[in-house]
Amino acid sequence: MKDNDQLSGLFWLAVSVFICIKSIDLKIGSFHSPGPGFLPFWSAFILGALAIVLVVKRIVSKRKGAEITTSLWKGMKFSKVIWISISFFAYALVLTKLGYLLATFGLLTFLFGIIQRTRIWVKVLTAIVTVVASYLIFYVWLEVQLPKGIFVF
Amino acid sequence: MDLLHSLYYGFSVGFEPANIFACFVGVLMGTLVGVLPGIGPVGAISILLPSTFRMNPVSAVIMLAGIYYGAMYGGSTTSILVNIPGEAASVVTCLDGYQMAREGRAGPALGIAAFGSFIAGTAGLIGLMLFALPLAKVALDFGPPEYFAFILFGLTLVGYLARGSTIKAFMMGALGLILSCIGLDWVDATPRFNFNIVELMDGIDMVPLAMGLFGISEILLNVEQTTSPEILKTKIKNLLPNVSDWMESIWAIIRGSVLGFFLGILPGGGGIIASFLSYSLEKKVSKNPNKFGKGAIQGVAGPESANNSATAGAFVPFLTLGIPPNIVMALLFGALLIHGIRPGPLFIREHPDLFWGLISSMYIGNLMLLVLNLPLIPVWVKILKIPYKILFPLILLFCIIGAYSLNNRIFDLVLMFIFGIFGYLSRKFDYEPAPLILAFVLGPIFELNLRHSLLLSKGSFSIFFTRPISAIAIILAIILFATSFVPFFTKRKEEFKSATLDEGP
Repeated sequence: MKDNDQLSGLFWLAVSVFICIKSIDLKIGSFHSPGPGFLPFWSAFILGALAIVLVVKRIVSKRKGAEITTSLWKGMKFSKVIWISISFFAYALVLTKLGYLLATFGLLTFLFGIIQRTRIWVKVLTAIVTVVASYLIFYVWLEVQLPKGIFVF
Repeated sequence: MDLLHSLYYGFSVGFEPANIFACFVGVLMGTLVGVLPGIGPVGAISILLPSTFRMNPVSAVIMLAGIYYGAMYGGSTTSILVNIPGEAASVVTCLDGYQMAREGRAGPALGIAAFGSFIAGTAGLIGLMLFALPLAKVALDFGPPEYFAFILFGLTLVGYLARGSTIKAFMMGALGLILSCIGLDWVDATPRFNFNIVELMDGIDMVPLAMGLFGISEILLNVEQTTSPEILKTKIKNLLPNVSDWMESIWAIIRGSVLGFFLGILPGGGGIIASFLSYSLEKKVSKNPNKFGKGAIQGVAGPESANNSATAGAFVPFLTLGIPPNIVMALLFGALLIHGIRPGPLFIREHPDLFWGLISSMYIGNLMLLVLNLPLIPVWVKILKIPYKILFPLILLFCIIGAYSLNNRIFDLVLMFIFGIFGYLSRKFDYEPAPLILAFVLGPIFELNLRHSLLLSKGSFSIFFTRPISAIAIILAIILFATSFVPFFTKRKEEFKSATLDEGP
């Protein structure tokens, strides 16, 4: 777990450098008259400084003695996370085109397929019931505006 | 007498049908999320926040507050029966509560947790009424330096008291401040970090950020798990504690109530710290400290009382200073802002219906919770058995509809998914998202007061040290920040955490 501190520390250091540069473009101003880049610059500075401390701590502890490190995803079903994340963005892409009913039905059927091993008709039926129930509660009863897409309702 | 009149007025607001209903829905939802591991009050409030937009502000806050203190009640059920905390403030209850359940005493454990929560919740409300008004009067004299200093102290304390690495918590706080800068500059409307994306001109909305960080990330963390928790098969009987249980627990409840209330006021405090410290205190004052970790009823009564009275304490700085001391209050702060209401020193005067209505609803809510949590325990046990594969689509749909309905924009949905993945990765790499969202919510006030103070002092930082309240807050913040890097203090903090958590057999 601690090995990942080095990786994440370097990532945040890069982010902080980027934000500092962008903040300078925005004009940091002075202590007398702080500009729009004042807070982001100093916040990014602190972020970067702490990232350096994190990385250095890790290097020092590595030199003191070997630590047993384990993968963050050992024994986990990481592939499910990847597929689900991809499905989220695909859903966002098609939501306004297909509409809430169709897009959400597709998303839930896919997710049920990922999460549980059951017969296809069970997944489809569960997805239909869930989508219709949510549509009735939110669109019909609570009058929340949901994208219609190819449907007129 | 004024207090009584105000309370009477509050009950007249609290007993309005819409508010009673909102209170009931809130405490029911709160108990449900407390019972179910995998989603806590922060996630639940984030997800249900958009549904409050159509309500009037009083009902909205009553419902959201109900979720908060309801979750404290519900969390003990899973801790005692499954040895998995339903929410973070019930971690310590696992230590002795589960052991009591293994000895066939799940009933008294659940009973004393419920009664202790009720007594402490009621005591906390009395404290809220007594402290809020004087503090609001004092806060009228606060200027930009005081507000800046308090927020800085609060953010530092939240980072210092984070469960994981303090350095990482501070980094998340800094990131939260940066994210709060996205959009137009508050002073001269210069676009900041919007990368020519029109939707970012108004900044990032709190709802997709919170729902992504706590709702979507929770889904991702749960789906990658390969095992499900087992519920202890035990008969739950004798929910009413006997005389001996009461004799052993009453002082733990009283101490927990007082400790929890004052810790709830502190930024970064809240139910989690209160429950840990209450457990440590009970163990220290107990005549039989060896019994702790093996089924000591004080180990359930004290922490459960502390985490409930802390919820009332948290409302003190939130409503009187306009400074949310923890993440839940930060979300409530955002909810009030959406309704056009800003908590602060003038809040009680300008919105007495909201303040007193909220207090009275918390009395009513505490009573509802006692009724819900005792007789309905078999129902909660059945709910615990619902597989996650059935629950997660409901959570996901709430998140999707909540994020989309905010502005009817796909952009908010995409933002929520991005923050969901970010929240998932943050937790995998041990970065707590809570300091980020607190800093994000407080960022605008923080920046405004900082820049205002520097303008007043013509760039001199001495303005923060020449005013006593601001000076004390800033010095404390500096001490906390500095001691985070001193090995002596970090070791003691880790030792305290492990000593409290590893007490089990």
